[in-house]
Amino acid sequence: MQQVIWTLLGAHVAGVVLAAIAGFRSIRAGLAVAAFAPTITAIWAIWLFVSQDGLAGADGPPTSELVWVEGLDLAFRMQVDSLALLMTLLVSGIGALVFIYAIGYFAPDAAGGATFPPTLLAFSASMLGLVWSDSIWTLFIFWEATSITSFLLVGHKNSDANVQTAARRALMITGVGGLVLLAGLIILAQDVGSSTLTNLAAAEGSRATLAAILVMIGAATKSAQVPFHVWLPGAMAAPTPVSAYLHSATMVKAGVLLVAVMGTTFADVQAWKVLGLAFGIASMIWGGVGALRHVDAKLILAWGTISQLGLLITLLALGTGKAVFAATSILFAHAIFKAGLFLIVGEVDIRTGTRDIRKLGGLAKSMPITFAVALLSGLSMAGAPPLLGFPAKEAAIEAVLGLSGWEQIIGVVSVVGGAVLTVAYTTRFLIGVFGAGPDTIVKPRRLAMTIPAVVLGFLSVAGFAALGLVNDIVRPAAIELNAKSEVYGLVRWPGIKTAFVVSMAVLIVGFALGVGAAARKVASAPNATGADAADGLIDGILSNTPRFIAVVQHGSLPVYLATMTAAVAVAGIAFTDQVSLSHLQLWDTPLQGVLAAGIVAAAAAGAAVRSRLGATLTLGATGIGMSGIFIIHGAPDLALTQLLVEIIVVVGFVLGLGQLANQFPTVDNAWRATRLAVATLGGLAVMAGLAASSANPSGVAPIEDLTAGAVNDGGGNNVVNVILTDVRALDTLGEVVVLATVAIGILALANTRRAEA
Amino acid sequence: MSIALLLTVGGLTSVGLYLITSRSLSRIILGFALLGHASVLALLMSGGPAGRAPIADGSGSDGFANPLPQALALTAIVISFGLTLFLLALASRQKDHTGDDLVEDDIEDSRIAEVKQ
Amino acid sequence: MIADRSPIVGHAVAAITPLALLIGTYLLFAGHNNPGGGFAAGLVFGAVLILRTIAGVQKPVDAPLLMAAGLIVIAIVTAAPIFWGDYFGDQAVVSAELPILGKIKSGSALPFDIGVTAIVIGLVASLLDGLSLIDADGDLTT
Repeated sequence: MQQVIWTLLGAHVAGVVLAAIAGFRSIRAGLAVAAFAPTITAIWAIWLFVSQDGLAGADGPPTSELVWVEGLDLAFRMQVDSLALLMTLLVSGIGALVFIYAIGYFAPDAAGGATFPPTLLAFSASMLGLVWSDSIWTLFIFWEATSITSFLLVGHKNSDANVQTAARRALMITGVGGLVLLAGLIILAQDVGSSTLTNLAAAEGSRATLAAILVMIGAATKSAQVPFHVWLPGAMAAPTPVSAYLHSATMVKAGVLLVAVMGTTFADVQAWKVLGLAFGIASMIWGGVGALRHVDAKLILAWGTISQLGLLITLLALGTGKAVFAATSILFAHAIFKAGLFLIVGEVDIRTGTRDIRKLGGLAKSMPITFAVALLSGLSMAGAPPLLGFPAKEAAIEAVLGLSGWEQIIGVVSVVGGAVLTVAYTTRFLIGVFGAGPDTIVKPRRLAMTIPAVVLGFLSVAGFAALGLVNDIVRPAAIELNAKSEVYGLVRWPGIKTAFVVSMAVLIVGFALGVGAAARKVASAPNATGADAADGLIDGILSNTPRFIAVVQHGSLPVYLATMTAAVAVAGIAFTDQVSLSHLQLWDTPLQGVLAAGIVAAAAAGAAVRSRLGATLTLGATGIGMSGIFIIHGAPDLALTQLLVEIIVVVGFVLGLGQLANQFPTVDNAWRATRLAVATLGGLAVMAGLAASSANPSGVAPIEDLTAGAVNDGGGNNVVNVILTDVRALDTLGEVVVLATVAIGILALANTRRAEA
Repeated sequence: MSIALLLTVGGLTSVGLYLITSRSLSRIILGFALLGHASVLALLMSGGPAGRAPIADGSGSDGFANPLPQALALTAIVISFGLTLFLLALASRQKDHTGDDLVEDDIEDSRIAEVKQ
Repeated sequence: MIADRSPIVGHAVAAITPLALLIGTYLLFAGHNNPGGGFAAGLVFGAVLILRTIAGVQKPVDAPLLMAAGLIVIAIVTAAPIFWGDYFGDQAVVSAELPILGKIKSGSALPFDIGVTAIVIGLVASLLDGLSLIDADGDLTT
């Protein structure tokens, strides 16, 4: 069971390579090859559900771990638990159907054969990795991978400016959301002290609140929650198989999944619930309203998805056992019916050449199979019996009715309102696409497109018929998220109870509203204010970036240096609170004080004089002063070396100065005050750091051991030199290599001069 | 820790930083040399107070200055010596090209700044 | 050449040379037990070399040759212990009874220091070249 994770992921990776090779000939060949890995993954997942001991077997759920950094809790960790298996069914099962569908969707000579199938498969692999992740770091990596592959897939028709804008908008919103999420995950991992998702401890307190807010915002960007939803309608520029797969069944569920998994961790954080409800309810209502305003059938579905995702986030934010169970059920049902509806829209688009409901008419007669599937999926979406969507929506209504206080009022009003809107836009969608209207010319059916849609439509019926099996899939996942879900199950016929009455009222009101909306002729599509604002923001950032670069990367080396110095010096302020004056004495000997004053005075004079020769002499004086300090300190080797070094350096300066003007140029006066300030700050920071280090000694110096070692093992009395040639022989070796390298550099410079001459 | 040495390190660092943000390469070299002094001294001070030279003469190690930072400081002196010599050669080459030893703006960076504005 | 114009300088430099060589050699051998060592010795030799070259008493030396020799010596000394089973960079200590000098204790640190000396001389010698003081023929520019 351990190897299965790697085998399946490996199959996906191998498939990406093979699909790219096969796709050079045609996009259909690439898709056919790419379909293999999701198909076997789906079969494996189904087999696990059907076989009795599946996940509950002696081995436990398949897990896998690759430790990256020992001790830092950085590991590539995966675990296929019940929720992951449910998601695997959706990712790979619907994935396999979408691959087959895409074979029919694309013309045989369509462009992008070498890029589209492997990218779609790479997305599939990323999504699998995301749902299998058991470490928040692993999860984040795959989270970002889905954003990037989604960008590539949305931008498939990359010659179209609108497509480019839409793809960029999707990437920017989900990408920035990813960064926000990362910040939240880091804070969370620090707070609870673990990065393993299974049994992640509950978080509490102000840091947990911050983490909860950041994680929720990250999830909301991915799951297209208002006001971050603006990327999703734009992403409909993608080929329809992509929309069906990424933007209804899988990727947009990633945010929902994250909110579900983090539910128990943030259960006690009030901000988590409040923010989740705000996002969810706003999206549920605004998404439903949006779906009623658009005339593009695909956009109706996209806005409907925003609304459904809002419902899921709302239920998960409420967090009761029943709500979590209802959310898990709807997650499953929604993926099936919404993917089916998208496939139908794609088929209509391909066979009629339009998706505008004002131009479509009479399709119920000319595309009867498609109509039947649309009816099944649509009624499931509306929550009408006898389809899978019905018991799921019943569970949701029961969940909110079972609440108390203000949560019950808000929950019931929003969920019922959202459900009415859902029924309304579903009705409008079905009437608009398949009802009466101008007779549309229909091209012949393509079998590869029809079969997957039929399968998905059939599943909405079969799911209701075999509700026990669906319960087996959904319940363990819900229990993993919230142990209190255990007592619930999907019920085929609930009896005449409050929830059922509400549900029927919703259907009737929604249907009436939908018929009315369908009858009202919409002249034009509503303007996309939100999307325009997002694009304006992105454009503004992109167009101002060069100006920003020009300011930051101006080219002046001294300014770079001063900036770095100032930054490091400001960091040095952190040490000031550790400085303790009790460890300081005025001087070791008075002579040390005299020499110190002389050194500083000589150095300052060196900076002040305008004559090059004068500056050189002050450098020599500083060096000699340093030698004196070394002697007082008990370091004769340093004193000797410093003196000799100083002689050579001064000689070198004098020899070199013969070629230069006697005085320094006066180009630096303009910003002398700034330089002085930065330099002073730097000096103070170094002093603070040193004083702090003396106040916190890390141990006693091993002087005795070093001396004994030098005499007995090193065979020398000069401890310093024995350390250099014996204890640190490798360092000294490196040091002479540096010297040789410097010499080679000098000689190379000299050679360039000769070459020019 | 000796306040006199602490002030020396601070003073050398400040003057060194002031000089390396200059345009004249020979001043920058001076600045680097002073920063080298400052870091050697800082290294020495962090090892403990002044003491006897750590040369074993049979009378034990009482009162020895810590030899370990001295060994590290010796390496530091040598490396900053090498750096100084290299910078001198560089200044000499700069003079061949421009007639003085001024550090110019990074050409590529300036070009980026110009093109994008 | 300064020595051509001022014979006194030439003679003075020539006179100082043996003294400086003596000091340098002392530093090289004293390093293990007293202040000194290969680096200090190299600086003394290098300073003498600059002095002699600038004065025109001798031709500039071949810096790359000196450095190559030094690096080879160091590489052999540090790598050799591997061949008799010790670790890289291990130091061997030998002591011998010699006439006149008495008991001498030395070790592989000595050839190591000699290598360091050679490299430092090479570095200092290359400075003359780097400061454009040597022409294409290897002679001092006047």
